[in-house]
Amino acid sequence: MISAHAKESFDRIFRQAARTRLVTVPGGVCEIRPLSDLAPGEAGLADTHRVAVLTISSLSFRLLIALHFGDDPATRGYFAGTGEARQHADAFMEVANLCSGAINQALVDYFPDLGMSTPYVLTNGSVAHWRELRAQHTAFYALAIDTTVKLAATLCVCANAPIDFVAHGTPVEGTSGELELF
Amino acid sequence: MAKILVVDDSSTVRDEVAGFLRKSGLEVDTAVDGKDGLAKVRTSPGLKLVISDVNMPNMDGLTMVEKIRGELANAALSVIMLTTESSPAMKDRGKAAGVKGWIVKPFKGEAVIETLKRLAS
Repeated sequence: MISAHAKESFDRIFRQAARTRLVTVPGGVCEIRPLSDLAPGEAGLADTHRVAVLTISSLSFRLLIALHFGDDPATRGYFAGTGEARQHADAFMEVANLCSGAINQALVDYFPDLGMSTPYVLTNGSVAHWRELRAQHTAFYALAIDTTVKLAATLCVCANAPIDFVAHGTPVEGTSGELELF
Repeated sequence: MAKILVVDDSSTVRDEVAGFLRKSGLEVDTAVDGKDGLAKVRTSPGLKLVISDVNMPNMDGLTMVEKIRGELANAALSVIMLTTESSPAMKDRGKAAGVKGWIVKPFKGEAVIETLKRLAS
């Protein structure tokens, strides 16, 4: 139902979005390593980590984007500076929103009917239930920003119709930040 | 009295955008979603510019703009959307509602500040 080309395209789009939107310090590097299963521990995350979740929906599929993040000093310092726990979650939700927005911007070239949710944060306890989504395509990643900030990501694609498209991973920077006057 | 209203459910974005505008010498108020934004527009006759997110809980940004235009059809109030959304369909809905402009996040203040100052004057 989801072609190999489409699975590769979701992968390319995610990697491009992660590299351009999860890195908030100029010159930073986001290393991305695929995981064979949903195992955030392999990405260096503690069992107490939380997950920022967004969905992108079209008539033919729903894409769940989950970014797993910890509350360790390196992660908190990178995304929220000296902020409190609430500010850390809010700051990371906005970064997740930007990352998902970049995925949305890349997908809209192929699926013009897209809609994106607002971000929300779940505890790690929800992760065990995701298999109930019965996604036709699931991908897991370990991410490291400047080697010190450890994150993980899960993509789940639930399809309502055959999906086949080829995205070439064009940079999503485009006209971001520019004011388009009507 | 504030001339600009920043509407976003993310406190991170509100702090970033409002902070930048204040440092640029502008008077700014904030709202946490479309419902809050609509209430502040109704009670702030001196507003010149609204900068709003699209995807927000309680009331989204485009619904807020449609309600503003329905109630204040002749108001000299410009609305700019600041959002991760970039689809032509979404922009068309914004144009139909009277949105003046569209910025795809992330916000790069230096690139747009002169236009924002003009719209807020």
